[in-house]
Amino acid sequence: MIRLILMRIGLGLLTLFVVSAVIFLLTQILPGDVASSVLGQNATPENLAAFRHELGLDQPALSRYLTWLWGVLHGDFGVALTNKRDIIQELAPRFRNTLFLAGYAALLALPISVGFGILAAVREGRLTDRVANILALICISMPEFFVGYLLILNFSVNHEYFPSLATVSSDTPFGERVWAVTLPAITMTLLVTAHMLRMTRNSVLAIMSTPYVEMAFLKGLTRGRVVTRHALPNAASPIISVIALNLAYLVVGVVVVENVFTYPGVGQYMIDAVTKRDVPVIEACGIVFASVFITLNTLADVLAIVLNPRLRHPR
Amino acid sequence: MAGAAALGLAFGSLGGSAKAAETPKKGGTLRLGMEGGSASDSLDPRTYADSIPISYGYQIFNGLVELDADGNAKGELLESWETKPGATEWIFNVRKGITFHSGKTLDADDIIYSLNLHRGETKSAAKDLLSAISDIKKLSANQIQITLSSGNADLPYNLTDYHMLVVPNGFTDFSKPDGTGAYALESFEPGVRVLTKNTGHYWKPNSAWFDSIELKYIPDTSSRTQALISGQIDAANRLDPKTVSFVQKSPKVSVLQTKGTGNRFAFVALCDTDPFKSNDLRMALKYGIDRQKIVDTVYKGYASIGNDTTIGPANKYYAPNNPPHTYDPDKAASLWKKAGSPAIELQVSEGAFSGATDAGILYQEAMKKAGINLNVKRVSGDGYWDNVWLKAPFCAVYWGGRPTVDLQLSQTFISTANWNDTHWREPAFDKIITAARVELDEAKRKQMYAEAQNMIADTGGMVCFAVGDYLDGYSKKVQGTAPHPRYDMCDQKVAEKAWFS
Repeated sequence: MIRLILMRIGLGLLTLFVVSAVIFLLTQILPGDVASSVLGQNATPENLAAFRHELGLDQPALSRYLTWLWGVLHGDFGVALTNKRDIIQELAPRFRNTLFLAGYAALLALPISVGFGILAAVREGRLTDRVANILALICISMPEFFVGYLLILNFSVNHEYFPSLATVSSDTPFGERVWAVTLPAITMTLLVTAHMLRMTRNSVLAIMSTPYVEMAFLKGLTRGRVVTRHALPNAASPIISVIALNLAYLVVGVVVVENVFTYPGVGQYMIDAVTKRDVPVIEACGIVFASVFITLNTLADVLAIVLNPRLRHPR
Repeated sequence: MAGAAALGLAFGSLGGSAKAAETPKKGGTLRLGMEGGSASDSLDPRTYADSIPISYGYQIFNGLVELDADGNAKGELLESWETKPGATEWIFNVRKGITFHSGKTLDADDIIYSLNLHRGETKSAAKDLLSAISDIKKLSANQIQITLSSGNADLPYNLTDYHMLVVPNGFTDFSKPDGTGAYALESFEPGVRVLTKNTGHYWKPNSAWFDSIELKYIPDTSSRTQALISGQIDAANRLDPKTVSFVQKSPKVSVLQTKGTGNRFAFVALCDTDPFKSNDLRMALKYGIDRQKIVDTVYKGYASIGNDTTIGPANKYYAPNNPPHTYDPDKAASLWKKAGSPAIELQVSEGAFSGATDAGILYQEAMKKAGINLNVKRVSGDGYWDNVWLKAPFCAVYWGGRPTVDLQLSQTFISTANWNDTHWREPAFDKIITAARVELDEAKRKQMYAEAQNMIADTGGMVCFAVGDYLDGYSKKVQGTAPHPRYDMCDQKVAEKAWFS
């Protein structure tokens, strides 16, 4: 078990290295650089050259990458090329915001999707099952900005329950923060629920057609008891991996929602960096996002093993 | 200062804003919600390029010279000036009794240092404005002398540029800005918000009424408009012409429209590249576009018709063509045939300006009526200024307003200009511009600029079809706002000029 976790961590670090190299390569392929993006229409050959020299962009790409990598190995992510601000210090509060929103949305989405997923499986083919499925499908079929605007229209324009601006900062008190982030959290909940709900339902139903479940029914158990006590534990591992994927999506896939609600998360920071070709910032955001994916996937695998006796004691 | 260009302007006001009758009073936090910035913004004035940095720049710092409500140069930290005939030698007087937030007293050395940030080897976008300066000399603690390599009667106007903000001599750490502005920086979170606080001892009389300013980055237009209507912010810039009629319905909000000073929207053809070498074709492009339709459809009427130069119709030197380049499919068709009926491709992108794609499609439709096939190609907005503009033979571009006609024309149309995006090179035009720069007789000057504009319109490669309006939204309790001949949001000085009723 420990060996497996250590191996996953090692592989994760290797993945991060590859990710950083790929991101760097991709930023090199993108047309333009930070100097031409910042100066934009105001660029002249002279001020471009002065800007590039100041930032060390006249060095070869490989040596810039190695310098950056050396810094990162020493825990130094450097400063943004555009405004010379410390990347960790800029990123940390935004990452906390992103996690806060993702956590809030997960708290809403997990019970709803797993709960209704199980309920739908128990009542397969009946009204609850149909309604849960149809509602979830409608939510996932609408683009997230549309869902966001609908919520704003109903809950902050027509009825002023929640603010449409979710701009929070480090000094925002917790209660106010929860209040401000409610609409974006609901938007994201609606986005991820369908996937998890249907996966829960289908995994449970797949197990339901196995002989040992039939045996349980023959023993005279109720459908609800068969589902929760016998089917669900064995259906857990695909559900957990879908949940992990969706949790990761809650962290990395929220750019549009951030934009609609003007929420200061990592997504907008990364978009701004890409627009300005600010390579160290893009790298830092990329590594944060990749780490979230790797961590959640590792966690999902470990949990699947812990929950399943057959995987726990391999023969 | 004789001969300085004053911009004559026509203003329109919607929803009854711009009430100046009330007596100003102190207090409150002004919450601005703005577009025009990003997480990569910096406090260093050399890097400013959009509305949000200009706004916080003017909160914290002061400029050298400012533009008053009529578009005339007015002393700011440089209090007054004089020049000799020929306009090459200038004496500027530095305002006395001004202190920085750090407590240092302003003197000539600070001014010279701040100017030199934009001279020599610099990344500053203002470098071109000062390139004619050959020497800056300190005459006394409160007086400097500027010598130009060639005369320019409009030098004070060049010094109104928003990059030229004043810092103490030797100042380098822009993360802790030290200015003479009304507000001192409290917290800087680029891409999120900027907080400033009134210093309580601003030198300009009757200004800076707010206790503090909270500037929020709200890049999404719908979110910004919504935040304004629901009272989460007190002012918003760049309202969308398509939804401004809804905003006006709100009882709590008023809309301020500034007519004819916004961005100039154009398509530019490279005059030295085939098929645009032919002036017949260039004229076909100008007669084949239905300007009124674009203004009505794309800008919902919140724009004026452009005249194929970057001079807006509100400018007092504006010289309309005679006859005007109104939509004429037959004329466009015959000119196009005369040019050999070449294939034409136009590259458009929303990265050039918002509405470029729609305008391009309307252009294509209008050309179709003349029997001309205009191929409109949509390209990525990402890296547009680097990859398409100045490189593609026919593409979309916008130009912002400049404080003088000289700057406006010489940055884009002089043969040697860095940003001559039509590659139109006309020695006779260069000569007129250079002569007008030192011409102090107003009537003659007007004549010269009219001739220059007609040259561009009749032979140049720019199809400037519209000049946009600025649309600001203010909560009804914000008083003291008025249109300004340069930028929106009271020349980005709303923090200094407005107050709460």
